[in-house]
Amino acid sequence: MSGGARYSWRGMLAAAMLVLAASPVFALDGNEILKKVDRNLEPEAYEMYRKLINIEPDGRRKEFVLYSVKKGRDKIVALFLSPPSDAGRATLRLGDNMWLYIPNVGKPVRITSLQSVVGGVFNNADILRVDYSVEYNAESVVEEKDSYLLNLKAKTGEVAYDRLKMWVDKKVLLPVKIEAYAASGLLIKTLHFKEIKDFGGGIRRPATVETDSPLYKGHRSVMLYSQLKKRDFPDEVFTLNYLSRVEDLRK
Amino acid sequence: MLPRALAAAVLLLAVVTAHAAEQFSFDAAEFQRKPVEFGGYLEFKQNHFGLNQDGALYLLNNYNQPRESLDQSTLTFKPSGKFRYGGGSLNFRAHLEGDWETREFQRTTRFDELYLSYKPDPGLTVDAGKVSLKWGKGYAWSPVAFVERTKDPNDPDLAREGFTLLTADWIRNFDGPLRTVAFTPVVLPASPDYNPDFGAGRHVNIAAKLYLLYHDTDIDLLFLNNGSRSRRYGVDFSRNITSNLEVHGELARIEDVQRQAITAAGEGVPVRENATSYLAGLRYLTERDTTWILEYYRNGPGLSETDMRNFVQFVDTAYDGYLATGNDAQLLRAASLGRGGYARPNPGRNYLYLRVSQKEPFDILYLTPALTAIANADDRSTSIAPELLYTGYTNIELRLRAIFLNGGAGTEFGEKQNSRRYEVQARLYF
Repeated sequence: MSGGARYSWRGMLAAAMLVLAASPVFALDGNEILKKVDRNLEPEAYEMYRKLINIEPDGRRKEFVLYSVKKGRDKIVALFLSPPSDAGRATLRLGDNMWLYIPNVGKPVRITSLQSVVGGVFNNADILRVDYSVEYNAESVVEEKDSYLLNLKAKTGEVAYDRLKMWVDKKVLLPVKIEAYAASGLLIKTLHFKEIKDFGGGIRRPATVETDSPLYKGHRSVMLYSQLKKRDFPDEVFTLNYLSRVEDLRK
Repeated sequence: MLPRALAAAVLLLAVVTAHAAEQFSFDAAEFQRKPVEFGGYLEFKQNHFGLNQDGALYLLNNYNQPRESLDQSTLTFKPSGKFRYGGGSLNFRAHLEGDWETREFQRTTRFDELYLSYKPDPGLTVDAGKVSLKWGKGYAWSPVAFVERTKDPNDPDLAREGFTLLTADWIRNFDGPLRTVAFTPVVLPASPDYNPDFGAGRHVNIAAKLYLLYHDTDIDLLFLNNGSRSRRYGVDFSRNITSNLEVHGELARIEDVQRQAITAAGEGVPVRENATSYLAGLRYLTERDTTWILEYYRNGPGLSETDMRNFVQFVDTAYDGYLATGNDAQLLRAASLGRGGYARPNPGRNYLYLRVSQKEPFDILYLTPALTAIANADDRSTSIAPELLYTGYTNIELRLRAIFLNGGAGTEFGEKQNSRRYEVQARLYF
């Protein structure tokens, strides 16, 4: 009796797996894909260097170099290393809270995700990006030929973009393109992820993110990644009082 | 023919690809940390002042040399640096300034900051030397900034000179609604030879700040003991109500404030009282990237309208006396009273501050026009300052600004030395 029951459960399990395999729509969990995308893009705790390039329609450029450290799902600090006019500025994000520290002013001031400390197409939410799965829920997944299209909705009104359309490469589970929309449905910007590179330590991700925006016609912004590696930091690093000392974390 | 064309095409493609790759290459190795860092800026500023020949402060400064305008060229060099060794560092920020004004040349050389810093771990830092502390959440004013030099509301972002002191920063983080606690004690000795402009007498001043990040709100509790300055307590906060609206406030209770009130005849009347100062403000960002900063400031120990009117009347009488007799003793006495409070920026009791800045209008990158208005809410005199800031050239910041002072006789801005000011400023960072 018990043996018969066991076989019967096995049969049901096999049948269920067959059904799931034959119907990918039921098998796909957008939020699970999103969590994998998060971890494939960056480890949960890391340090990295980025160069931001704003390119104007006439080809003129302005470049910034940032050193960033992150811990957990929503703690991140970015320090400007270049150009000299911005060197020493540091931005901190703890969940929905963001601050900017300017050495001359000396006092961290609260900033918002939609402002931009660098000007151009990138705003503070792009520079201090936390895990996508912290800010967004996947409302639906559409399976395309080489990619999954995730339709993401912001969990709260504090998030910079109300909706994202994220195309994720099926094989490597990394984003290929993201369209960011305002609550009104207006397309704010499009991010193109390019040049997958091996950063070592098991981190393999796009080294270039190009951004354009219909709000800044003819302008482009590019973010380049370098020396992205796992590193753990004490919690005290992610505080207002530490913003003037972030430089000391660099080795 | 075809193979050659193909080879040429492949070569062209390779060149284009290489160019594209070179276009966006980045290796962080060139940005590795160095044991010695040096930076700063060189600034040139040209000012033209249109003088307010009816103003009390004009009369005090120009009674024996009347003029309609003044020009001032200022060259400022602000080098800063850091020398690291182990867990410590030596930090400095110097201030070298030359002022060529119509009447005279002045120069200033000083260290704004020069201190040793020791960080045994990320949760503890000890600083000893000349340090510029920045307390408070207000943008234009900070009544809880107990151990700082006063902020200039016309240039609140300017770096200021610090005081020589010993301070530490102890930080702890937690999970839950209370995310951060930071404690900052300060020991600030003051005497006629040491931190002389902090206050009178010889005292070891003790101050402290306790910072909390509680339920996403920044909260500071602040204290300064009775010493060179009278005892004072303060609290401030800052919080984002929505992603584009921040509110902040400060409250300071100051015990035993002493000031010199005067009668219209110029007789000094010492006043001692407890005073409460407070500030309430907000910062709002619109969908079109316009930033609004609005603040109300109650300056508890400030001068009343009657005080201001008496001072102005005293100056007028002293000037009439000078014209009649050539004796400037009363004017010099009035000037001394002015330095003691009446001629300082914003000596009154109630102020409003509004700054509206528009980031990159008409898609012009790096251009920020702004309009700043400061109003004395009691006498309704105002200072209105339109400006243009351009940061499009790497390491160069250009600013054009005009300041228009408006107000009738006996009002704060109506009695200033200038009625107009035009300013061109270029700053080169290195």
